[in-house]
Amino acid sequence: MKKFIGKRAVASAISLVGLVIMVFFLSRLTGDPTDLYLPVDASLQAREQFREINGLNDPLMVQFGRYVADLAVLDFGNSIRRSRPAIDVVLEGFAWTLWLACVTMLLVTFAAIVIGSLAAFRVGGIFDRIATFFSLVGASAPDFWIAIVAIVVFAVNLRWLPTSGTGTIWHWVLPVSVLFIRPFGLILQVVRGSMIGVLSSAYVKTARAKGVRNRPIIFVHGLRNGMLPVITVIGDQAAGILNGAVIVETIFGFPGIGKLMIDSILQRDFNVVLAAIMVSALAIFLMNLLIDLAYALLDPRIRY
Amino acid sequence: MTHKLTCTTGLLLGALFGTAAFAQDHNAVTIVLSEELELIDPCMASQSNIGRVLLQNISETLTVFEPSTAELLPKLAESWEETEAGTWRFKLRSGVSFSDGTPFGASDVVHSLERSISDQISCEIGGKYFGGFEIEAVAVDDTTVDITSDPAQPILPLLMSSLTIVPEETPLEYVQTPVGTGPYEMTERNMGTDIVLERREDYWGEMPAVTKATYIFRSDSAVRAAMIEVGEADIAPVISELDATNPETDFAYPNSETTYMRLDHATAPTDDRRVREALNLAVDREAFIGTLMAQEAILATAVVPPSTAGYNADLQPYAFDPDRARELLAEAEADGVPVDAEIRIIGRIGLFPNDAEVLEALMAMFQDVGFNVTLEMLEVGEYNTYYNRPFAEERGPQMVSAQHDNAKGDPVFSMYFKYGTEGQQSGLVYPELDEMIAKATAATGEERAALWSEVMTSIHEEHIGDVLLFHMVGFSRVNPRLDFKPTIATNSELQLSQIGFK
Repeated sequence: MKKFIGKRAVASAISLVGLVIMVFFLSRLTGDPTDLYLPVDASLQAREQFREINGLNDPLMVQFGRYVADLAVLDFGNSIRRSRPAIDVVLEGFAWTLWLACVTMLLVTFAAIVIGSLAAFRVGGIFDRIATFFSLVGASAPDFWIAIVAIVVFAVNLRWLPTSGTGTIWHWVLPVSVLFIRPFGLILQVVRGSMIGVLSSAYVKTARAKGVRNRPIIFVHGLRNGMLPVITVIGDQAAGILNGAVIVETIFGFPGIGKLMIDSILQRDFNVVLAAIMVSALAIFLMNLLIDLAYALLDPRIRY
Repeated sequence: MTHKLTCTTGLLLGALFGTAAFAQDHNAVTIVLSEELELIDPCMASQSNIGRVLLQNISETLTVFEPSTAELLPKLAESWEETEAGTWRFKLRSGVSFSDGTPFGASDVVHSLERSISDQISCEIGGKYFGGFEIEAVAVDDTTVDITSDPAQPILPLLMSSLTIVPEETPLEYVQTPVGTGPYEMTERNMGTDIVLERREDYWGEMPAVTKATYIFRSDSAVRAAMIEVGEADIAPVISELDATNPETDFAYPNSETTYMRLDHATAPTDDRRVREALNLAVDREAFIGTLMAQEAILATAVVPPSTAGYNADLQPYAFDPDRARELLAEAEADGVPVDAEIRIIGRIGLFPNDAEVLEALMAMFQDVGFNVTLEMLEVGEYNTYYNRPFAEERGPQMVSAQHDNAKGDPVFSMYFKYGTEGQQSGLVYPELDEMIAKATAATGEERAALWSEVMTSIHEEHIGDVLLFHMVGFSRVNPRLDFKPTIATNSELQLSQIGFK
């Protein structure tokens, strides 16, 4: 196991180095940030001064060498836009996104597994039809539209929930609900498909013949074997949210890493872009590791 | 058991409704801004989102410009006079202290000016208002400071309405906790979520009614508008026109921006006056009002808003006359002007609402009278290579869609940059106009206003400087419980002291 983790860590580190080099140079291709930071009326002198202060006048390789040297001592540089360490800015955003992703994926996983399993138990039944209909609608509905409609209905018209923000537990209801819908639809379909296969297998029929009740058949005998493809999709969806739920963060005023990354790319705040990509990559590496470990836990035939 | 249950319920309710409890302070307001303040340094307060939090709330200036009366009023300076050519002496208010308790004095003014123009920190105020000339401040005594500019700046007291004063100890790097002499101090800053200002009980001036202001950030205009509607916030300084649907809470205000098409007077065919006139006559400006432009937008005859000194209200926008435009083009063509040359309209993505649609409509109007016009929408970095000098030698005929903001009340902040031969964004090349601008810049009082009026007339009628379009408006939503009406200043600042309660 330790050997496996070590190998994965080395492979991820190599990918990360490649990613950093690529993003460093590609981001510079987008142009000089000076025009975006200073007002359009700024004088040539002010522009030159800005470039000098931020080291933008140096050749690209010199800038890269300086960045690598700083990175070696875990200095990710300063955000030009915020004049603060880029890593601080990124970690503040990442903490919000991590919470949002954890809460959402926990709810999604629980709901999709339970409903998907029950739908698979009576294929074509009324419960299955309803679950399939809503999951397909959810998987195909655009986030931004759902978010705005949810605000109009639940915050403006009914006044049940706050429009946006992060102050209390009620502030989390709408963003989490909007984020919930799409992965829920997708994972429910995967659970359903996987469980249909499992529940029609010989060992389940044997269990039924032995008189085992429905609940243990679904949630004990069936689910464990049906979970492998589901875990892959859960990991994929969680990675999507960890990279930032840009629409939800933008509309609900959630200060997460997704909006931060988009803003930083648009504003050419290079150090924040690089730090955010590194933090996201690290998080996704850890999550993939957890998924691999979950495979081994669910299927004793898998050994690392 | 019952006691435990009560306590638990109480704690839960406290956690759930904590925010609502804070919102019950009647004299506290919540202001929802469209973007988070990434920097909060007073020397960056000329950025509108920073200015709305800092200007005259935390950071004060020596003078203040009142747009409604076009008057320059004292603030931290009680009086000022020009002691010799280029040197102004400011008598400072005594008994003023910063929010960190240190007393305010002349050395703070000297440091604030030096800091804003320092090459160790990229201050927007320095680059925007104190570029292009030398300026130096000298403390005469604790309450007197001499400020000298070279060449002499007759509007130096007006320029001082832009210089935010910080304590002498403020370092030459961006600060994260601004300190000023204003009626409020920043007591909380939660990155990404909010900034809280609280009223200072030791403020030197009149005590404002608002005791506490919480600034929150929402990118989406519909959400900002909804927050006011449900009472979660009190002022949304900027909302989209589409969301400004409630006449009881929504206000349109002139936002000091003017849109125009900058013409290149050094390149054919726009170097020909008849061609420039034809471009102006080809535009049906009225057709935009209430359609792609807000109903409250005003047809422009100058690049500065009507509240600016020297604005000539007698100037008329060019009438829509496509037939005359065609005649002018034919005349120019007969004289060998290459009127069929392709003219590129350079637009900037997101410059103003409906910008792409406006430029497409303009392109169609120009094409209708016979111009060969194409449209390119560029992002800001690439756009600036067309907008700012140095212009490319082989740039070819072009019109640059532009928008200019001048809420300062004096054309000097616009004219040299926009119309001087060496102006950073100027397409004009007329030495006689340079002289007129220089003369108006050096003048004072009524003579100054008259000279600026001549400059604007010359640009609009004699040189036909550009295709002027509209003085723009912004939209705000204000909670009906407040006694507050947005003004032209709302585009750059939001003074809490101007907010009352009904």
